[in-house]
Amino acid sequence: MLHLTVNGTSHDVEIPTYRTLLDCLRYDLGLTGSKEGCGVGVCGACAVLLDGTMISSCIALAVFADGREVTTVEGLADDERLHPVQQAFIDYGGFQCGICTPGQVVAAKALLDAIPDPSDAEIREWMLGNLCRCTGYYKIIESIRAAARPRRP
Amino acid sequence: MTDAARPHRIVGQPIGRLDGLDKVTGRGRYSADVSLPGLVWGKALRSPLPHARILRIDPSKAQALPGVLAVLTAQDLPRVLVGRRMFDMPLLARDRVRFVGEKVAAVAALDPDIAEEALALITVEYEDLPAVFDPVRAIEDGAPVLHEDPGAYDGAPPERPHPNVQSVLRFKLGDAAAGLREADRIFEHTFRTGLAHHGYIEPHAGVVAIDEDGRVQVWASNKMPFRLRELLSHAIQLPKERIRVNLTPIGGDFGGKGSLMDLPLAYYLARVTGRPVKMVMRYTEELMAGNPRHPAVITLRTGVTEDGRIVARRVTALYNSGAYAAFKPAPSVNLGGASMGAGVYRIPHLLIESFCVYTNNVPCGHARSPGEPQMVFAEESHMDMIARDLGLDPAELRRRNLLRDGDLLPNGHHLEHVRAQETLEAALEASDWAKPKPGPWIGRGVAMCHRHIGVGFTNARVRLETDGRVSLVIGLPDTGTGAHMVLRQVVAEVLGLSIDEVQIELATTDTFETDSGVGGSRVTHTGGRAAYHAAEALKEQIRAETAKLAMPTASLAELAQAAARAGRTLEASYFYDAKAHGAVTSFTAQVAEVSVDPTTGHVTVRRFTTAHDVGTIINPIGHQGQIEGGLIQGLGFALMEELRTEDGRISTLSLGDVKLPTIADIPPLTTVILHDPVGPGPFHAKAIGEGSISPVAPAVANAVADACGVRVLDLPITAEKVYFALRARAPRS
Repeated sequence: MLHLTVNGTSHDVEIPTYRTLLDCLRYDLGLTGSKEGCGVGVCGACAVLLDGTMISSCIALAVFADGREVTTVEGLADDERLHPVQQAFIDYGGFQCGICTPGQVVAAKALLDAIPDPSDAEIREWMLGNLCRCTGYYKIIESIRAAARPRRP
Repeated sequence: MTDAARPHRIVGQPIGRLDGLDKVTGRGRYSADVSLPGLVWGKALRSPLPHARILRIDPSKAQALPGVLAVLTAQDLPRVLVGRRMFDMPLLARDRVRFVGEKVAAVAALDPDIAEEALALITVEYEDLPAVFDPVRAIEDGAPVLHEDPGAYDGAPPERPHPNVQSVLRFKLGDAAAGLREADRIFEHTFRTGLAHHGYIEPHAGVVAIDEDGRVQVWASNKMPFRLRELLSHAIQLPKERIRVNLTPIGGDFGGKGSLMDLPLAYYLARVTGRPVKMVMRYTEELMAGNPRHPAVITLRTGVTEDGRIVARRVTALYNSGAYAAFKPAPSVNLGGASMGAGVYRIPHLLIESFCVYTNNVPCGHARSPGEPQMVFAEESHMDMIARDLGLDPAELRRRNLLRDGDLLPNGHHLEHVRAQETLEAALEASDWAKPKPGPWIGRGVAMCHRHIGVGFTNARVRLETDGRVSLVIGLPDTGTGAHMVLRQVVAEVLGLSIDEVQIELATTDTFETDSGVGGSRVTHTGGRAAYHAAEALKEQIRAETAKLAMPTASLAELAQAAARAGRTLEASYFYDAKAHGAVTSFTAQVAEVSVDPTTGHVTVRRFTTAHDVGTIINPIGHQGQIEGGLIQGLGFALMEELRTEDGRISTLSLGDVKLPTIADIPPLTTVILHDPVGPGPFHAKAIGEGSISPVAPAVANAVADACGVRVLDLPITAEKVYFALRARAPRS
């Protein structure tokens, strides 16, 4: 029996030890917001926060999350109020097909938690592990810059 | 059409996508996210050999594994061949495999892990057959033949100079042979490009369920639901009325998501298990067997006058099509991008011949501007090499030969509103082409192309709801481009509504008779015009209803409610069918400025300029997103992406090895928009989806040659290639 907290809700699930955290979220808990792209931890579509630290859930076993707190894309908005990163991705065209977007916004939130006012170089370095094939990234950078702006003093 | 000079309210506004809420919150349900009661998982076993006879398949151990519900081999399936235009591919290999990754068995199990374990328990005995991998070798006498009688396949084109030729596509103007004899100088160069995957982040996924009444329901990452229904009807031998394809969001397409892929197997597994079946490809399978962009070998032979005017050109393209033609949708079973062998130039005597060739490699399909990045790389590199040899500025050689109003394209269409020269000059100006380069080992390269505005047919229905909002019912999926937002803006503009008052209602294949789906830069045109005319018709109905009910001051909600009480729904449909390409195209000119590291050969793109001749822009965020996304795909094709193969085995089987561009790889970008509202789309829109990808590679290649004198004739332009070319040239110490 595995006990984990996802987006503030606690769950007890009985799953095989080989189950990845991503499959556990998607198929055992029905949280399909996190996506599987590459399946080998390089594209970032499955990015989630484990006790606040960004990880690739496609190469983490679900048992790693035992007793810990997981934040997925479904947990970013506060009720119906979008996280600034989510709103900026809509306003500035930071997504197209949207399949990488859950990972992009989770990564961008983690970035702004760590560096509230990142430079372009810091954005590029942090977001390096999140592939996007649609946008060419320009509008992702613009979105993150915009999301950081209201936080500036 | 409306008066183009009239300012628009909604069209042209940079409105953020209303479907964005689903995308940024993770609520959107893609095909892989579809869940149904009793759902089980399907997986396919693939061939490890490029060409072999199948002697025996033993599924017994897999069948005995707890949790396995079914194992299928070709023996369990009807003898049906599938394809998009030419039907040459079995659902599962019957007695012979022709590429590494070809499916030989399929499994249904309670979860994906059990299904994968079961695959490992199936034993297949093979006997190797001689194989051929290079398209040049494949059409020589005595080459191993892949298909004994390709002409017998449904949809096979008749011309077949060699059994390994799938199709021949020809474009002809004047008399190329005679023209070449009249030239002062003749230049001939051969180029190669590599195998490239589309790189969408969503692997192919699909769910097939058979309802209690026997109807087949499909959810699939497929951009042509109506064509999918037809193709599936053939593959599973049921009338198309018995099949319903439900639209889902698509996680990137770039030309790759138009085929059946695993759906027929999912159906047969659903039929034998009595359960809904989900099949999701692993990305490894995508890279091994996902209908990637054709590698090409292209030779151009151009005759010019001493002052740099093109007299004649002959182009031969060999597209390495892999083991099956099944993934190509065009009636020619070839690649229209071959026509770009003429570039953006007036060439009085022209012959382009494009051959799609069978080899024991992964079957290739359509990828964003099919066949064109390959051809534009070759053609625009060739132009640069000619310019340098003639001692002309590469921009000047282009200027002297650019298409003008009334000129003919290779397909025989004449052109109007030609803005090739303005587009070129705009790119040169914005890139400081005429200014001295900022240092040594820095170079600039220019390249151009043009791209047609796509044609096809679309159904749209608009309905006034009793809450006063308008629903647009559409059978076109949004592959990610924001097409649905464009259509909403068109309807809101016509009806004088705010954008929030127009909602999208996704059709299924039950809703309409047909729709050509997404592809070929057509959606703004065909979907936009269908939505435009349907909205115009609804506007007329609203006017008539207002008069009939004598409610001149009523709101739309009040009107709809009153009409409903009278038993009427205000609803209009329109079927728009654009059959032939018009006389208008879109030009692109790009300039790359690169630096080359002389010690490593590494190429850095210092800045990039892209200029586009466009029509009315409906949504500037989406429009610019198409330019930027296509451009960075082009940059990956130019510098880093390649599925490396060794004897038919792809050795780059993870996204970590393929090297798609990351956020750290993108250069400073300048976009120049030349606005010319003359397109066939709604409000005179043109097309943009495929406008930015093709000239990137030759612009970079030409810049590398300018920076260090190294001419790379085969893509991608890796540091190794530049390094060894520099070393070969340097005097030995």
